[in-house]
Amino acid sequence: MGRNILFALALAGAASPLSAAPLSVRVVDATGRPVRDAVVTLYPSGSAGRPARAGGRFVVSQKDLQFHPFLTIVPVGADVSFPNLDPTKHHVYSFSTAKKFELKLFAKDQSRTVHFDKAGVVALGCNIHDQMSAFIVITDSAWTSRTNPQGLVTFDAPNAPARLTVWHPYLRGPGGQFQQMVGPAQRNASFQVRLRPPPAMPMQDY
Amino acid sequence: MSSFRSLSARLTFQFALLFAMAMLVVSAGLSTFIAGSASREVEGQLQSSGAVYDRLWQQRSHELQNAAQLLARDFGFRAAVASGDQATMQSALGNAAGRLRVRSAFIVSADGRVSMTGHVAGRAETAALWEPLDEGRLTGVAVLAGRPHQLVAAPIMAPTLIGWVVFAADLDAREMRGLERLSAIPLHAAVVAYHKGRWAEASGSMSALDAKTASLAQSHVGSPVAFEMSVGGITSIALAKPLPTFSNQQRAILLLAYPKAQAMADARKLQWALGVMTLLGLVLVAFATWKAAARITQPLARLDEAAGRLASGEHVQVRVRGQDELARLAESFNEMVGKIAEREQRITQLAFNDTLTGLPNRTMFQQQLDHSFRASEGNGSLFALHCLDLDQFKVINDTLGHPAGDALLIEAARRVQHAARGHFVARLGGDEFVVLQTVGEDRDAIDRLARDILAEMAQPMSLDGNEVVPSTSIGIAIAPQDGGESGTLLRNADLALYRAKEAGRGTYAFFEESLNERAQQRRQLETDLRLALERGELELFYQPLFDLERNRICSFEALLRWRHPKRGIISPVEFIPVAEDTGLIVPIGAWVVREACGRAATWPEHVRVAVNVSAVQFHRGAVHETVLRALADSGILPNRLEIEITESIFLEGGEATLRLLHALRALGVRIALDDFGTGYSSLSYLQSFPFDKLKIDRSFIQNLLTRDGATAIVHAITELANALGIETTAEGVEETAQLMELRAHGCSSVQGFLFAEPMTASDVDRLFREEGGALQNVA
Repeated sequence: MGRNILFALALAGAASPLSAAPLSVRVVDATGRPVRDAVVTLYPSGSAGRPARAGGRFVVSQKDLQFHPFLTIVPVGADVSFPNLDPTKHHVYSFSTAKKFELKLFAKDQSRTVHFDKAGVVALGCNIHDQMSAFIVITDSAWTSRTNPQGLVTFDAPNAPARLTVWHPYLRGPGGQFQQMVGPAQRNASFQVRLRPPPAMPMQDY
Repeated sequence: MSSFRSLSARLTFQFALLFAMAMLVVSAGLSTFIAGSASREVEGQLQSSGAVYDRLWQQRSHELQNAAQLLARDFGFRAAVASGDQATMQSALGNAAGRLRVRSAFIVSADGRVSMTGHVAGRAETAALWEPLDEGRLTGVAVLAGRPHQLVAAPIMAPTLIGWVVFAADLDAREMRGLERLSAIPLHAAVVAYHKGRWAEASGSMSALDAKTASLAQSHVGSPVAFEMSVGGITSIALAKPLPTFSNQQRAILLLAYPKAQAMADARKLQWALGVMTLLGLVLVAFATWKAAARITQPLARLDEAAGRLASGEHVQVRVRGQDELARLAESFNEMVGKIAEREQRITQLAFNDTLTGLPNRTMFQQQLDHSFRASEGNGSLFALHCLDLDQFKVINDTLGHPAGDALLIEAARRVQHAARGHFVARLGGDEFVVLQTVGEDRDAIDRLARDILAEMAQPMSLDGNEVVPSTSIGIAIAPQDGGESGTLLRNADLALYRAKEAGRGTYAFFEESLNERAQQRRQLETDLRLALERGELELFYQPLFDLERNRICSFEALLRWRHPKRGIISPVEFIPVAEDTGLIVPIGAWVVREACGRAATWPEHVRVAVNVSAVQFHRGAVHETVLRALADSGILPNRLEIEITESIFLEGGEATLRLLHALRALGVRIALDDFGTGYSSLSYLQSFPFDKLKIDRSFIQNLLTRDGATAIVHAITELANALGIETTAEGVEETAQLMELRAHGCSSVQGFLFAEPMTASDVDRLFREEGGALQNVA
């Protein structure tokens, strides 16, 4: 997880030349409690926008009948490898429009790589193990990050009006996301979202 | 109530009313209970049907859910849904819907889009399902196309939620009939749902359900209590169960209804039967009460009637049945009647019977006598009246006491009754008895009866340890010849009785007309005697007593004579009894004492005068005062007056007589016992009273020379008298030989024709003048 945060900071740092001021976004649920691991993306308008830096290798492994990690943020064009570390077979699939695929990883240590060339959210499942679930957010904006345990995300936002979206695996709402517009001088924004209860099977790790 | 004339009517009314009220209360209670239990039974049936429906609902729900989940998990289906492959999606949905007998199936995607098969629901309706689906609602009732459906959904995970498979099952008549078939009672079931301001119903069985009824049902939702509602004019007993709805904005109810008329049909029959039975019971109770009341009141009515008859003098008895209070009352009544009769008899007996002997009394005798006269007038028959009198009753009563006298009377009554069997016997009082004898041709029967009575009565009897031989006298008068009415007949029988007693007692006598004449003469004598004293027709004669010792006249006995103006001299034997009977003896006796004393005062000092005093005089007259006055008036010494009494005075009076004699003797008056040796002579008199003289009865003197016994008796008497120091006088001396004999026996003095007959007072005076008081020629 720490690695993902570092990755997010690295993304943010990469956008620094035009940065003017920090924007703090706070995500809370219906009862006002902070929501963590919500993916917040800032889309500055016009020329201020900048895609995330392409490339990089990402791994979503299957171990102990779980995907690891649960949530992965990748830039458009990233390759993600899916190694099967379990002795069982896995049938990894995605019906998401961002990337549809099926990987039949029938042997231990068998690994396949999928290239994600379209922004969106890919929900991963295993046709053999229903409880296995993971998400890959393919972002096309340099300002994409997940909320910390306090439900906070801070961006070095460009001094421009921007569209701010929030996504969460259990978010209730069409398309699973909300969005709002923020002004150039705006330093704070907040989302109040409604979450579905997580699926019955426990997610041991994010 | 008090207006009832008969007890039985009142009892019938009151008891019937009471029973009727009780029966009405009971039957009303039963009726309510029947209706209540029928209601409860229906309610129970409805509840169990409700429970059955719950099971059916759940089964159906599970079936649909399983199918939906199965479909939602299918990889190919998921792939088709995720990739928007409509053809595949629809065919898969159609396949599943057909298999499940579901009219409508559709997919609601996570972003609210709807894909469907079938044409039941509009798009708007299905789109509205997104909200509850998104909230996690997977089953419930929802209104689609205006009709409630059972909706079951399953999420489609690919792997995140991309939508829901939804099956909508009809809740139509076919579906409901399944439930109705499972129920024990022919109920109607319907699912009604509230949607967009109106109630929808799918089965059609309650299409007429209006808003008011629906809201009534709504108000009873969840309550286990059945309620009544009206659908299409039919009242039903209903139970409302809440059903889960898919949307919170909707409400659904399972209505289980049972037409009340049908539900209560059996109860109604029971109630009818109960009503009929109540009516029958009422009639029966009224009848039975009437009968029972009659049974109670019948004896009362009989008693009532009997009491009425008793009041009118009839000695009626009531029939007693059973042992209850009424029977006891009847017994008491009978007892009372008996006692009243007894008392009446007793009163009659007291009125008409003599208490001592039990014989009819004078009153009853009088009635019987009157009756006999009437009978005699009617058939010309004769009857005899016997009047009985006990000869010595008075003596026995006085000497042996009243108890003995009563015993004598009782025994006499018994004997007369026995002897005069078949004839009327009564006691008129005292020792008087009468017998009424009806006489036929045989006149001797009268004599025979009289003789029988006398013989029966003459039997000896023991009274208080004393042997007594009663003797009776009977006087007989025969009606109608001896008296045409009771008074005359009774008087004449009394005359006959008097004659019988005269004739020597212990005998009977018939009335004769002469008796009646004699009685009249006697009454005339009575009248004359009353005047005799006033007219100076009474006169004293004096007969001298000659002293044998001194050979001179020592005394004169005063003897009473009545010189009647028409009849001449009348003997004392004739008029003294009349004087005694009428009480005239008292003034006459007083006059005699006074006259005798007056005369004696003119005589020489040594000559005494003797006066006879009868028993009646002794007991009724004031002899003591008379003597005192005569002595005082005449001035003679008391020892010159000699009172002559007979033993008969001792038969009555007893102690009083003795006291009087002692009192007289205390004055100095001499007392002589007359007629000694006859009658009831008893030597005890001599012992109990110191007589101055005994006068030996003339019967002994007359026999003195002819019978040896007489001489011995005279000798004994003079010897006894001399020994006691008592003088003796021999009466009725007529011959010289008698005088010689008497002198030889030591007799003190003599009296009789030999010396002188009774003489007038003037003759006495002449005697003293001429001869100096001595009859020397005799001596």
